[in-house]
Amino acid sequence: MNKQAELDSLLQQVAVSGEKLTGTDRRDFLRKGLTFLGAATATAAAGHMPTVKAALPPEEPAYGKTLGKPVLFAPYGSPSKYESHVQRRTVEWLTPDRISSISFTPLADLKGIITPSGVMFERYHAGLPDVKPQEHHLMIHGMVERPIILSMDDLMRFPSVSKIHFVECPANGGMEWRGAQMNRLQFSHGMIGCAEWTGVLLSTLLEEVGVKPEGKWILAEGADGSHMSRSIPLEKALDDTLVVYAQNGEMLRPEQGYPVRLVNPGWEGNTSIKWLRRLEVGDQPWYHREETSKYTDLMPDGRSREFTFVQECNSVVTNPCPEKPMMKPGKVWVEGLAWSGRGKIKHVDVSFDGGVTWREAKFTSEVFPRALTRFGLEWDWQGQPAMIQSRAIDETGFVQPTYGQLRAARGENSIYHKNAIHTWKVNADGSVVNVQIS
Amino acid sequence: MFKSPNQVQTMLVPAGLLMAALVLGAGYVQAEQGTGYYGYGQTATPEQIAGWDIDVRPDGLGLPEGSGTAEDGEWVYEEKCASCHGSFGEGVDGYPSLVGGEGTLSGDGRPHKTIGSYWNYTSTVFDYINRAMPYTAPRSLEPDEVYSLTAYLLFMNYIIDDETFELNQDTLATVRLPNEPNFIPDERPDTANTRCMTDCRDPAAIEIKSQATPSLADELAAEAAETAETVEPPAQLAVVGKSVYDQSCMLCHGSGLAGAPKVGDVAQWQGRVAVGSATLYKHAIEGYQGEAGVMPAKGGFMNLSDDEVKAAVDYMVQESQ
Repeated sequence: MNKQAELDSLLQQVAVSGEKLTGTDRRDFLRKGLTFLGAATATAAAGHMPTVKAALPPEEPAYGKTLGKPVLFAPYGSPSKYESHVQRRTVEWLTPDRISSISFTPLADLKGIITPSGVMFERYHAGLPDVKPQEHHLMIHGMVERPIILSMDDLMRFPSVSKIHFVECPANGGMEWRGAQMNRLQFSHGMIGCAEWTGVLLSTLLEEVGVKPEGKWILAEGADGSHMSRSIPLEKALDDTLVVYAQNGEMLRPEQGYPVRLVNPGWEGNTSIKWLRRLEVGDQPWYHREETSKYTDLMPDGRSREFTFVQECNSVVTNPCPEKPMMKPGKVWVEGLAWSGRGKIKHVDVSFDGGVTWREAKFTSEVFPRALTRFGLEWDWQGQPAMIQSRAIDETGFVQPTYGQLRAARGENSIYHKNAIHTWKVNADGSVVNVQIS
Repeated sequence: MFKSPNQVQTMLVPAGLLMAALVLGAGYVQAEQGTGYYGYGQTATPEQIAGWDIDVRPDGLGLPEGSGTAEDGEWVYEEKCASCHGSFGEGVDGYPSLVGGEGTLSGDGRPHKTIGSYWNYTSTVFDYINRAMPYTAPRSLEPDEVYSLTAYLLFMNYIIDDETFELNQDTLATVRLPNEPNFIPDERPDTANTRCMTDCRDPAAIEIKSQATPSLADELAAEAAETAETVEPPAQLAVVGKSVYDQSCMLCHGSGLAGAPKVGDVAQWQGRVAVGSATLYKHAIEGYQGEAGVMPAKGGFMNLSDDEVKAAVDYMVQESQ
């Protein structure tokens, strides 16, 4: 019996048993029964709603027979309490403590291409600082004609733009280089989020201070305890780098760099410095810790690539996935996310047989450059085991590589920039497992 | 494209006239000569820039005045670094090791990346210590301490062999690290997959090479139970206490670092709970020298109010019974 049928049957039993009781006893029984079933459902498949018979027509649900809460019950609203399983989560063994650590976006439960700000992955190098906007300043100096210090009010007077882009940690999927390891989508691909970012083009600010002709690189530095710093080529800074103060229509969340951060579209997330306090123009890169000791890619011959900025074309199926197993045989809407740091996604193909045959998926969202793009296609599942893969192609013609191709080029020790075609194995019982195949 | 200084000047004229007109009515201050097109913000003075301009480059640009030797550095290291990085730089409880790893970068084994085996420039060691270390008290070291720590780490990694070698503005960039020649530019794209649609591979040759541990059902059940428990919001005090604990106390009291009683360890807390809340509050707020270690006043977080510290103590006691 598949899981949905099992649940339906349990619910039926509860409903039937409940009929024999009356008044308080019956209500109590139903309440307890449903609580139990709620837990059972979450166990079987987090996020899938059970079909509660009592709420089906001709019955009237309780919330239709009473008044609800008044306006301003929650002056700043939160998600429904029934969605409390949609949370950022961390993998404890990755870091020695939670202060300098990372949490993951719950991709399996998200819709569309915009990541809700409250569940976008976190990455701190010295914890989450409490930055007061009135105290915060951004200094721009170095090889410029007019070094300036901007308050947040000053910064927000400049002409603003809003752009939809993903931000992805280059270590996303890094635990999979040596073999399939993470048993859920949240951990295999969740170091990514996509948002509408509002702020000032860095080129506007650089024009304001007047970069001297010898200026070739920018150092961006955070105000937190790590004073996280990265060198960014002037070419990128003048192209599309944003100095961002708002995300998804509201001021940045503290976790995302409140009150101001950089966003380098399509590049390693760590270059998008949070709690940004300083931009310095220089004539060569600084080779700081987070661009030498970390965030460099070790090759099998012992050499390491430096300044590997671009997040290459990647994709993953989000339904089904380990957190969203197959519920019952029949037509299934298979969907997923694709993205490329080099521009727009052009095609996404999906295979159900481990890469023997492929079908092109449809785009079910808008397609923006350097943004998450959602794809989907219909699949008829009759309980047969399958190996689902997705393969994205970006507008440069680059085709997402296989694990074999990636390892042939880079070995298994480079930690960062793993963008191989991912495989979900669907078992006959509907469960889904992360596997790597030959 | 950048505007040349001349272009900026011509653009400033109409803006200046407009501003002058506004000054009469609204009291705006006219943008000074030499400001940009918008003229927002204030000019950064050399003194202001010096306060924040902490970065150091491989050629030594940005190094402050000062000096230090490995001999001096050993004492600073023992006091401020060894609790996480180990007395021999071996790393404690998952915190980074700082020495060793030579010859591990190529081949099949796990690479061990340290200053000696992996880092490319000495300046990075100075810059990073100065910008972010010690982990719990960044930007607290004097330049001489940073120079001496850098010298000691170079000495521990056999990069320099003279404990009295003075590292300073002039000598630091002359010390080169062995792995410097092994960094290369980005070579991507370095894969060339093709968009095959049918008969792309032999189905019989498909073999599962690795598989994640399928323990997901158990994990989801545990999480569902946990979520159910937290539906009722905990008392306000507990919320404050947990939040203060997470941000300010957990680093030591979560791991037992520096002799701190570990939260959840009933045995360690029993005696402490027995002396009563008043004493615990006092020790936490004013600081305390115990047998196992030192509790700094408010854990060093002097921005916390007394009530916040008390809430954190209550939370830790509650979690340790």
